[in-house]
Amino acid sequence: MFINYEHENSVYQVGIEKRNNKFFITYDNTEYQAEAEEIKPGYLKIKIGDKLIKAVVTEGEKEKYVFIDGEIFRVKPIPLTGRRMSTKREEGDLRSPISGRVTKVSIEEGNKVKKDDILVVIEAMKMEYLIRAPYNGVVKKIYVKEEDQIEIGEQTVEIAKED
Amino acid sequence: MFKKVLIVNRGEIAVRIIKACQELGIKTVAIYSDVDKNTPHVLLADETIPLGDPTPIESYLNIPKIIEIAEEAGAEAIHPGYGFLAENPDFAETCSKRGITFIGPKAEVIGLMGDKIAAKKTMEKAGVPVIPGYHGNKQDVDSLVKEGEEIGFPLLVKAAAGGGGKGMRIVDNIDSLAEAIESAKRESKSSFGDDTVFLEKYLDKPRHIEFQILADHHGNTIHLFERECSIQRRHQKIIEETPSPVMNPKLREKMGEAAIRAAEAVGYTNAGTIEFMVDGKLNFYFMEMNTRLQVEHPITEMTTGVDLVKWQLKIASGQKLTLKQKDLIQRGHAIECRIYAEDPSNGFLPSVGTLKKVEEPSGPNIRVDSGISPNLKITPYYDPLLSKLVVLAENREEAIQKMIWALSHYIVLGVTTNISFLKKVLAHEEFKRGNITTHFIDTYFKEYLQMKHGLPLDAIIALAVYDAMHLRKQEVVRYKEADPHSPWRYVGRWRVGGEIDVH
Repeated sequence: MFINYEHENSVYQVGIEKRNNKFFITYDNTEYQAEAEEIKPGYLKIKIGDKLIKAVVTEGEKEKYVFIDGEIFRVKPIPLTGRRMSTKREEGDLRSPISGRVTKVSIEEGNKVKKDDILVVIEAMKMEYLIRAPYNGVVKKIYVKEEDQIEIGEQTVEIAKED
Repeated sequence: MFKKVLIVNRGEIAVRIIKACQELGIKTVAIYSDVDKNTPHVLLADETIPLGDPTPIESYLNIPKIIEIAEEAGAEAIHPGYGFLAENPDFAETCSKRGITFIGPKAEVIGLMGDKIAAKKTMEKAGVPVIPGYHGNKQDVDSLVKEGEEIGFPLLVKAAAGGGGKGMRIVDNIDSLAEAIESAKRESKSSFGDDTVFLEKYLDKPRHIEFQILADHHGNTIHLFERECSIQRRHQKIIEETPSPVMNPKLREKMGEAAIRAAEAVGYTNAGTIEFMVDGKLNFYFMEMNTRLQVEHPITEMTTGVDLVKWQLKIASGQKLTLKQKDLIQRGHAIECRIYAEDPSNGFLPSVGTLKKVEEPSGPNIRVDSGISPNLKITPYYDPLLSKLVVLAENREEAIQKMIWALSHYIVLGVTTNISFLKKVLAHEEFKRGNITTHFIDTYFKEYLQMKHGLPLDAIIALAVYDAMHLRKQEVVRYKEADPHSPWRYVGRWRVGGEIDVH
């Protein structure tokens, strides 16, 4: 299976499989083989080769916290919903940077757009996030409409590139 | 000594006071609002009385309700802690009228020191240096320029109604003074509807250094040395230490004497703190007096071995101060870090939530004054201070090392805290050298606070392993089902949405 974690507006995608009591973790073109045990709830001891990772993981209402090397990181796991969640990595990614509400869709399918045109406005935590055109092109598909609730990482618009 | 004391506070300071009372054999009464029902101070106290509505004005600031509770519970004295009613002269006055001992100075003294301009005038009369300045009524530009010339440069022009830097100008010489006064007046008029300005000498490399005072009702006043409190964010201290890296025996003696003079000038009793500003040339100026126990009192306790809260209780019950100035010594170096539920990379805004895991560091000379426990809800009603981590070591360098170790072993999961940020400050080269001023965070951490720091590989692995152990089947989608075009080699980090505009 693979899991997406959101941290500071970046999405980290990691693959993990458990086979014969071993964990196979895939991240950034590398596979790590780990042995792991949970000593008490949330307290993990993970061995990868000679390396020992000690971590504490706990779950909040929507987020997870991990304590590692004296640092604490707060992440939000993102459920994968096949359809709108494209996992393809490509130039001009137009996925939503944040979970929020779509307050404006300023384009229609078939419209020509210029680089940096505002396509979609998403409001979250009283701030507005603007999705801008990454290059000149034509609006191929719009996945959202005004007033939609949108999750982080959800595709908003597809633009066909034109020179 | 009192038989029963009511503690009018919550969180770590209520816990601290209850412990001191219990050690002295005093019964304690705790009060709590609806959201504080299961907090450590409530669990520790001998008697507990609910306040209901968590809004501060209806709970920990509700004077009539609190007085009624004190009388019903038969408490002879009230300890106000810090914040809330600790520096409210009306509350102190009401207590004494109703025959309840307020553990602190007299109401008039609280009132006098609460009026910042009156306090300065009193101190000036007592021969305590104050920041040279003009706070008078002559508001025409010519008069102000004359006053400014007398004070000297650099000079600070400051709107009387000011805040947030509005209507504030730093002036380097006489030539630009008139213009600066005029523009500060214009800005102040449009921002606050008032164009009164003050003039003050501008201090270069300002430090905030304060002296702890204890004074009894028998004419004895002592000081317990200094605390360096220059590391601040949003004008609030986050790291305090003693001794101050800039202090020398001669300056300490001079400032200590000035602090005692300041306390005696107003007939001060109980524990108090004289705050000074110290400039780059080690000139010091009276800033204000805090007529209560300070948040950072533990570092003084660590280096002197004196229990300040017990002395507050003893002094309030009429006992004589048996500590003599000449017998007091500072031993080693102590640092305190304030652990806040706040997000340093988001303007230090308070963060709320439920604490899932709490594990405090422990070891030789590590002290945690804590007001939290697992499963506690951090609400937006009160100050987001969770606890205070205090360490003592033989010298400053080792104290910094110990503090970094202790912070690295402090597990608080469930809300965002400033723990990681505190570590970065302590590890900063300029901090290690002791080159600190009240501008430290703004000078060295402006960019850091806006940076994204990323999720390290080990954290990603730990999360994935945890989820592989715990996630139920339906919560995940196997990659084949999710997207057949997503080969494993794409797995990694991607930044969403390209550029992000926030406005």
